[in-house]
Amino acid sequence: MTTTEELISQVLQGVPVQVKREHRIFITVPRTDLIKTVNILASELNVQHLSTITARDTGFEFELLYHFFLNGVVITVRTSCPRDDPTVDSIVKIFPGAVLYERELHDILGVVPSGHPDLRPLLLPDNWVGGYPLRKDWKPAEGGEE
Amino acid sequence: MANVKLPIGPQHPALKEPENFTITLDGERVVDVDIRIGYTHRGIEKLMETRTYTQNLYLVERICGICSYAHVQNFAQNVEEILGVQITKRAEYIRTLFLELERLHSHFLWLGVAGHEIGFDTLFMYTWQDREVVQDLLEMISGNRVNYAMNTIGGVRRDVSKDHQKKVLDAMDYLEKRAAYYKEVGLGEKTILARTQGIGILKPKIALKYSAVGPTVRASGIAMDIRKDDPYASYAETPFEVITTDTCDVLGRIVVRVLEVFESIKIIRYLMKHLPPGELVVKVPRKVPEGESISHTEAPRGEDIHYLRSNGTEKPERYKVRTPTMANLPVIAEMLKDSYLADVPIVVAAIDPCMGCMDRVLLIKDNGKKPGELVDWDRLRAYSNRWYTQKRWKA
Repeated sequence: MTTTEELISQVLQGVPVQVKREHRIFITVPRTDLIKTVNILASELNVQHLSTITARDTGFEFELLYHFFLNGVVITVRTSCPRDDPTVDSIVKIFPGAVLYERELHDILGVVPSGHPDLRPLLLPDNWVGGYPLRKDWKPAEGGEE
Repeated sequence: MANVKLPIGPQHPALKEPENFTITLDGERVVDVDIRIGYTHRGIEKLMETRTYTQNLYLVERICGICSYAHVQNFAQNVEEILGVQITKRAEYIRTLFLELERLHSHFLWLGVAGHEIGFDTLFMYTWQDREVVQDLLEMISGNRVNYAMNTIGGVRRDVSKDHQKKVLDAMDYLEKRAAYYKEVGLGEKTILARTQGIGILKPKIALKYSAVGPTVRASGIAMDIRKDDPYASYAETPFEVITTDTCDVLGRIVVRVLEVFESIKIIRYLMKHLPPGELVVKVPRKVPEGESISHTEAPRGEDIHYLRSNGTEKPERYKVRTPTMANLPVIAEMLKDSYLADVPIVVAAIDPCMGCMDRVLLIKDNGKKPGELVDWDRLRAYSNRWYTQKRWKA
């Protein structure tokens, strides 16, 4: 029987696939390859469930983790974007379930998913002016509403 | 004495959690639904970065008052994975007991809410009375009715005694009888069928498209259950079935939850009869080495996924939480499209929204040509019950 890991290695030739433990696989791609990779996962592996998107401020860039779920395995696609150009292609067209998760990215970390149809605030107030709370250099005193 | 004016709402303890739905209507038909959340956003993810892992145990538990244990289970699993700690079998069994007791009380609670939304308040009174039996068990073992503070990193904080086991088993006998009654009522009662059959249709294709989770997708025939797909705690060795129906409507979501009650009872009986001896806690260091971990559990409402990034200190670098309600919000719009305004309360209730039953609904009639009218949830419920008694039956 072919494991999910072997399947991923077959369809994503040349992309580093890390098996962290049973049921947990990490794939690292540059942001320019994100759409291509997600497309392959959806079309060739038939990945249908996007669990969520995690974003993290590492201090010099934003790391994005797209958690997919297939046959009991959490497949995480890891990518990143620099702090001075915080944009990444939106995957809403491939996974419509990403619509709220990408809005959340934009809201609390200031990462812009390009091509997203609706980037109104999701968690923060409509009149929020206090910057992006999940950035590491953000201080609670900066937060506020107009 | 002068009159006293007492302001009530929109933010008020008597109201359920706040949320805003903007519903676009064409006559009685729903054309579009827009959901605004965030009124109860507390910034827990940011707050967690400033607290130690031990402090965070109790913060994570307070993400939700109903499915608090699913969250703290995820947190403990994440930290234990990075620490490389294997907890004892007894602790795993006790954790699973709490996960299932939580599912029981949550499903009983939901059944009552569903009854309430369709004007069937007798069902609401019955199920909430039965839910107290579960709450009493939780209190007996942990000392708390909600936010049990049972989990700690490396195990559980309180033991389940022989006496507790007997009382849990006795309670399961009672709850099984009650669940059998609800099954009969749920599937045979005319009022429930009329209000739920063929209402809020969610086709499997749409459920998959939007990555929905939990009983919502299982009622559309998709057998997704993290307990089976990626077993955690002691689910791998505990016999139970994943419940699905293929009716794709609100009735299906009732059936799935009622049948899941029987499965939870089965699991709890197995756990109580096979509870292994052993220590409760494994000792763990305060500092967590650098690493990352993903943990997900099948909370009563569906997949609850957490991500932890640690940095070698005693505080997390980043903690991310995605609750099941967030995953199910996008399909609400799909389920409501082309349904009657009167079906809105029960269809929305059918995903069992946790972070907010809404306090206000803005109606935009006739595709927004006229100004919107602000309606509160109680008025909408009264409207929908009236609409069903007056219009539909005479038609």
